[in-house]
Amino acid sequence: MAVAPQLPAAGPLAGLSVVELGDGTAGPYAAKLLGDFGAEVVKVEGPDGDSTRRRGPFPDGRPDPEASGLFLYLNINKRGIVLDLDGEDGKQALDRLLADADVFITNLPAERLKTAGVAPAALRARHPRLIVTTISPFGTDGPWAERRGDELVTYAMGGIAYSTPGMPDAANDLEREPPLHPACFAAETITGLVAGLATLTAVLGRARTNDGCHLEISQQAAVASMQHRDISTYSYWGGTYNRLLNPTTIGRMPNFYLPCRDGYVTIPAPMDLHWERLVEAMGEPAWARTPAFSDGPARTDNWIELRMRLIDWTMTLSGDELYGLANQTQLPIFQFYPVRKLVESEQVRERGSVVDIDVGNRRAQMPGAPFMMRATPWSLRRPAPRLGEHTAAVLGDRTGVPA
Amino acid sequence: MSTAPLPLPLDGVRVLDLGQFIAMPFCALWLAWLGAEVIVVESRRRMTSRTAPPFVPGMEGNPDASGYFNQICSSKKSCTLDMTTAAGRDVVRRLAGKVDVMIDNYSTGVLEKLGLGYDMVGKLNPALIMVSCGAFGRSGPMKNARGLHSAVNLFSGVADVTGYVDGEPRILGGVLPDPLSGTYGMFAIMAALHHRSRTGQGQFVDLAMYESMMTLIPEAVIDLTLNDADPQRAGNRDRQKAPHGIYPCRETDTWVAISVEDSRDWNAFCQAAGHVEWLGDARFGDVESRLAHVAALDAAVESWTRQVSVGEAVDKLQAVGVAAGPVLRCDELLDDAQLQANGSVVSIDHPTAGPHRQLGLPWRMDSLGVEYRRAPLLGEHTHEILTGLLGIDEAEYARLEADGVLS
Repeated sequence: MAVAPQLPAAGPLAGLSVVELGDGTAGPYAAKLLGDFGAEVVKVEGPDGDSTRRRGPFPDGRPDPEASGLFLYLNINKRGIVLDLDGEDGKQALDRLLADADVFITNLPAERLKTAGVAPAALRARHPRLIVTTISPFGTDGPWAERRGDELVTYAMGGIAYSTPGMPDAANDLEREPPLHPACFAAETITGLVAGLATLTAVLGRARTNDGCHLEISQQAAVASMQHRDISTYSYWGGTYNRLLNPTTIGRMPNFYLPCRDGYVTIPAPMDLHWERLVEAMGEPAWARTPAFSDGPARTDNWIELRMRLIDWTMTLSGDELYGLANQTQLPIFQFYPVRKLVESEQVRERGSVVDIDVGNRRAQMPGAPFMMRATPWSLRRPAPRLGEHTAAVLGDRTGVPA
Repeated sequence: MSTAPLPLPLDGVRVLDLGQFIAMPFCALWLAWLGAEVIVVESRRRMTSRTAPPFVPGMEGNPDASGYFNQICSSKKSCTLDMTTAAGRDVVRRLAGKVDVMIDNYSTGVLEKLGLGYDMVGKLNPALIMVSCGAFGRSGPMKNARGLHSAVNLFSGVADVTGYVDGEPRILGGVLPDPLSGTYGMFAIMAALHHRSRTGQGQFVDLAMYESMMTLIPEAVIDLTLNDADPQRAGNRDRQKAPHGIYPCRETDTWVAISVEDSRDWNAFCQAAGHVEWLGDARFGDVESRLAHVAALDAAVESWTRQVSVGEAVDKLQAVGVAAGPVLRCDELLDDAQLQANGSVVSIDHPTAGPHRQLGLPWRMDSLGVEYRRAPLLGEHTHEILTGLLGIDEAEYARLEADGVLS
């Protein structure tokens, strides 16, 4: 039956139906991205609910499974049902949902999927058009397939931690300053994005082949794939970035991360042209015209002293003043924004980079659209589900069985 | 064992890659591997990544021997055009009319000045999907501000949640804002292609690198706006798990990441470390106590990890089901048996640069294919694209070449 093209109701993925059996960030974030851009997502939780319900942040720090900020953010635009997947009824209900779905996304362990009757191979056999997206810490083959990994461990094995603090920042003491993981679900978020992207790849592929697909995502591999530059350097030249500041890792000087009166700034001025502008911005100090700093090689040879001289200057100025000088002189100096200053910035407000969210009975803000699609915008259509909120409605209307 | 190659999911999709540095070239890289025909527009007059290190040792400066270019432009085609000439810009406009997707990350306004912005090419080709990426995006009062990955780290709030205990904000290693925004760009392209397949409608996508990075820190944004709580930098500690950290091992600059989730894990950890006495230590009795005495706890854990190699620490902990792993360097990633076992490490040969390894797609597919091919030589496909795709005849091609438009 030919149908005339029509604009979908909401978002580029309207009409795509997704079932998520997720926990934490990776699986739920993949499904959230699809839902935020229009897909119809049903989130399946066990009787205890997603562990993020116990993570917070909660209003005034008081735990409440219906008022975890992170849960409410990650599960916006989804309907939620509770199924007991240890029982036959629950397994059958899940399979009926999957029979009508386009996509199944999960980051539960392979063993759990098996006992719930949704092992990927079995699902592919039962529902040939279903796109099955599974996320595991390390992938399902190889020496680590059975090992345990979480946010921290997969991030550490993905390569970014080793080189953090990274250019033009640096550790002062390689032994006492360990590799750093940021205090956020970086690995899981990257993996969720990769899983969402992989899923859409298969949606496009299926339009051609009429066949579903099993997409297997390794969280370690997802993080590692973000290390493209560092890997190229090693692969072609043998170089490895470590956390120390020195001209071989950081290139031409100055290129520093420095304290200023009320914060921190980066000062990259790698070429003579930039150096001239920087000297002008500093008010032509006499030291800058001495032979020790007059050309690029000299500045690189004397980078330690150069760094001290620049700190003497930056400590007399605020971040805003330095950023103002940068704009005047077209230098790419940039200042540190605490989250507070970021959220309050004109840029964030004007672009709508954060949007309102109700957490418990209090209004807060969360990151909004990750990018702006002009014709089919990101939309916030429904808040995250209370535990089991849509069980009756979904099992009724998705299966033809009255609730 | 010959099997028919699996269908490539993006076969038939054509992409015009005006990307610079890493963010947008990375966006087009995976598209090319997934079967899209990706055309890189470059110029001998203004070469960027081909002049950037790393080079094959002994071939410094050879534009076909830059690892920077060869790895991020694998599977793509090269078309040399001088966009400072009117005729060069005209060719780019004609290309924009023949592609499904166009991507750029020039400074905001550059393409518009050249008459190649979406305001122009979107009219020529309404089905076109254009992703335009800037450090601060293409709108808002900072849209013209320039920023490297470090500036994006500093602005996005990610630096505020990165740092040692009570220490200053720190900048992430690698250049995460670049590939991360490239990956969001790919997601946008896939979603837009799906939408277009049903409606015929193309569109413009405004991608800000800092917004890509902000997706990493929802907890910090929500806690601040909900509870007026600023992030407290705490090294590698977690607010719900302890021990949770990166600890030094016996050999210099080697580290193990350990994450203990619950009391079962803690019990197993103490057994594996040979410190059952810690199980009787009241400071470490339950997770609340361990979090309250986390400095003493971390010191105890470190007293053990410093005695053993990374491999021993990891094997002992994993043997009892505790999440632990080595902190891998970028060189170790390519040799990592686990990444290799999952097909993530690929080797691509190149006529000038020879074979080199890089990381491929971080996922596997059972019914769809992926193809890793070499990067193009400088200008390798200029003739094919102009005479084939655009239908320019040989006489005009010769004229364009003589006029320096194709340099």
